[in-house]
Amino acid sequence: MTTPVLEARDVSMVFGGLKALKGVTLTLEEGKIVGLIGPNGAGKTTFFNCLTGLYTPTTGQVLLKGNTLPGDPAKVTDAGVARTFQNIRLFPSMTVLENVLVGRHVRMKQGPLASLFHGPAYHRGEKAARERSRELLEFVGLRGPDDELSRNLPYGDQRRLEIARALATDPAVLLLDEPTAGMNPQETEATQQLIFRIRETGVSVVVIEHDIKFIFGLCDSVSVLVQGELLVEGSPEVVRADPRVVEAYLGKPPEEVELDIEAAKGEQA
Amino acid sequence: MSTVDTTSGKRSALAPFAKPLAAVGGVLAIVAALLPWVTFTLNDGNWPDKSTLQFFDAPFAVTGFRWHLLLLGVLILVAAFAPIPSRGRVVRALGWGVAVVSFINGAYITAKGGGLGAITALDGATAFGSVAGLVAGVLTILAGYGYGITPVGEWKFKPPTPVAYLVLLVSFAGVLLAVAAMLTTGGVGTSNPYAGAIFLSFLGFAGGVLGALSGVGFIRWLSVLSEEHRVFSVIVLAACALLLPFTDAGNEYWMTVAANIGIYAATAIGLNIVVGLAGLLDLGYVAFMGIGALVAANFSGAAAANFGIELPFPVAAVIAAVVAGIFGAIVGSPTLRVRGDYLAIVTLAFGEIFTRSAQNDIGGMTNGSNAIPGIPALSLFGKEFNRELSIGAVKLPAGVLYYILIVLLVAATMAVFANLKFSRIGRAWIAIREDEDAARAMGIRTGQAKILAFLIGATLAGLAGAVFAHKNATVSYESFKFLESITLLAAVILGGMGSIPGAVLGASLLFVLPEKLRDFEEFRLMIFGLALILIMRFRPQGLIPDRHRRAELADEDVGGAPVDEVHAASKEAKA
Ligand SMILES: Nc1ncnc2c1ncn2[C@@H]1O[C@H](COP(=O)(O)OP(=O)(O)O)[C@@H](O)[C@H]1O
Ligand SMILES: [Mg+2]
Repeated sequence: MTTPVLEARDVSMVFGGLKALKGVTLTLEEGKIVGLIGPNGAGKTTFFNCLTGLYTPTTGQVLLKGNTLPGDPAKVTDAGVARTFQNIRLFPSMTVLENVLVGRHVRMKQGPLASLFHGPAYHRGEKAARERSRELLEFVGLRGPDDELSRNLPYGDQRRLEIARALATDPAVLLLDEPTAGMNPQETEATQQLIFRIRETGVSVVVIEHDIKFIFGLCDSVSVLVQGELLVEGSPEVVRADPRVVEAYLGKPPEEVELDIEAAKGEQA
Repeated sequence: MSTVDTTSGKRSALAPFAKPLAAVGGVLAIVAALLPWVTFTLNDGNWPDKSTLQFFDAPFAVTGFRWHLLLLGVLILVAAFAPIPSRGRVVRALGWGVAVVSFINGAYITAKGGGLGAITALDGATAFGSVAGLVAGVLTILAGYGYGITPVGEWKFKPPTPVAYLVLLVSFAGVLLAVAAMLTTGGVGTSNPYAGAIFLSFLGFAGGVLGALSGVGFIRWLSVLSEEHRVFSVIVLAACALLLPFTDAGNEYWMTVAANIGIYAATAIGLNIVVGLAGLLDLGYVAFMGIGALVAANFSGAAAANFGIELPFPVAAVIAAVVAGIFGAIVGSPTLRVRGDYLAIVTLAFGEIFTRSAQNDIGGMTNGSNAIPGIPALSLFGKEFNRELSIGAVKLPAGVLYYILIVLLVAATMAVFANLKFSRIGRAWIAIREDEDAARAMGIRTGQAKILAFLIGATLAGLAGAVFAHKNATVSYESFKFLESITLLAAVILGGMGSIPGAVLGASLLFVLPEKLRDFEEFRLMIFGLALILIMRFRPQGLIPDRHRRAELADEDVGGAPVDEVHAASKEAKA
């Protein structure tokens, strides 16, 4: 068996008296899309924060390609894990292009002296970064003027821009926290296609989402988190059939959920 | 948000009258310029600019504030009838210009012993200039609201390079003329009894025109243009500044004032890196300038210096900059742990520690309250910088060489700022300012970046301090107190955070205003404070805002609510 690209082992997180995560284990194989679902407050975002070093897990370990990840968001990103935020966190008064260029930061070699004197190396590096950033904007489907301030973009475009910014760090793993929250059905569909295309470029993805249809149509494997505990893990088929999931999270009789999944598969085909 | 409601309410009521109001306001402003302003000659002499001039007596002999009014009136008429973007803002700004000019002149005549009779009718003479001007101003402001205060015009037009160069050249030449005019209007202090009023009136005029240019979108367009051609801009700006000695301001007094402004402008640009780009509030910044000045003073060979060695100025300046930079990095290191207000307190404490230890000569470097006097003037090829200079037939005033050196210093600082802003590290600073957690999630080592901001800012201040030491011949802790830090911060905020021309303009205003207001004696600082409050009330983003226009200390009502709200919510959730 090959080493998984991302592996979280027994991650727990305690805030004061609150156990937000209780020994969560998650494995992401290279080139796969894993879904993370669960009711509000289940600890999904907290889990992402533990993976990216924003929080230091109380216990447990996070490995990228078999190596322990450092507990510092900047170093985690450098190592190859990029993320988006549930509450969009763009740099609101930077332009669209500048936001993506900030994402290029870790991959640019420009030192303080080049920044100061703007020699030929500076111009070469900037040009390459700009080209790559424009490619990514095109890739996520942002074709408007790139000198617009990001705060002026429509909501859906801000989500897309956040994905482009994360991709600019050349990640091996992309963590998406509710990428379709607040989107209309067309935008949601476009986002699904975008995530498939991201996988095609060799990036493995973990997606948090509420929309079951979206998750079951998208993911190779789904983990269900309830009150900080991993309830079920497996292929969409296994998860949708699990009575505990239906009871704890879906809140519908299994037949209806099944219909949802069929519908999702149908749309996708 | 309640202000929005009232303006839209006013708009609906006034909208049909906007054009007639503006037309009447414009014409009335022109008429006011041609009316007499004072019914009799005041004790201090004739009110300047031909107050006794009668209606239409000599329309072509109109000068000074009356000429400004005439110009504003014509501009109002143009704005009312020409197709321009954001007409409401333009007309309103011009209206304020007319109102302020009229009010200042009228109020001053009244207060200078004229009484109300002086500006209305007395002994058969009539002088309704200021009344007409005030009415014109109010009507025009109302017209502005009638048109509606729409967003500032945005010009997408990108001119070809030669045209852009021409525009920049003409604009910067205009800035030079405006600065020369600002320095020289009303002369110096006591030489003209009406100097203060003339100066304030000029500011009203300049503010009106600047507001109109900003409303129509020209200023923003120009700042984008100058950032695109930043090398050219810095060169042209420096070249324009080097022409100042050849204008009316070319005498020893104004060379000295301009040189001091330059030193503070260079320091303010350094501070702008820390505050404007990286968003770190530094309340003790002037201490770095003090450190630079002390180092240079001690290596200057002055009798009171504490080192026996005399180093050539360039070497001493580099050492001063490096030492200040090291202190910058030390002071910046708490930024790893504290944020926001707490950081401001740490820097405040550092500034205070510096002043107190300098005052008590801790470390034996400062001579305490005896200061380090007698620092020799700089010289080049045997020519001392504080002497006058004659090249062939051209005679330049004393102090011109210092002025030139300082212009070059400011230009260099500007280039450093501009280059850093458009680089990997500059973007990292702005990202940290906008959202520190998101910046870290993008792989930015925020700790290193923040310390670097402090280090570079302090280095620039140290360099400016070294020049300061020689220029002023004395270095005392008195020059580097809390008030100076605050004034520098005010210069940055007033001019517009993150914007270079803003920092220069802010520094000029802050260091010229008190000089100009000497006329008002004990009211000087009060008027100064009032002026600052007014500017911040009506232009919280600063006079020449950066394109990103983010006022750290004043929230701006821009329609980007979703992102900001989400931010606020997420910050609350974390707290
Ligand atoms: N920084 C924090 N401090 C204290 N409690 C937190 C913090 N972050 C999250 N929590 C708590 O952890 C639980 C899980 O939250 P979260 O991970 O945001 O849930 P989800 O993303 O699944 O909706 C919630 O009860 C939340 O209040
Ligand atoms: Mg969440």
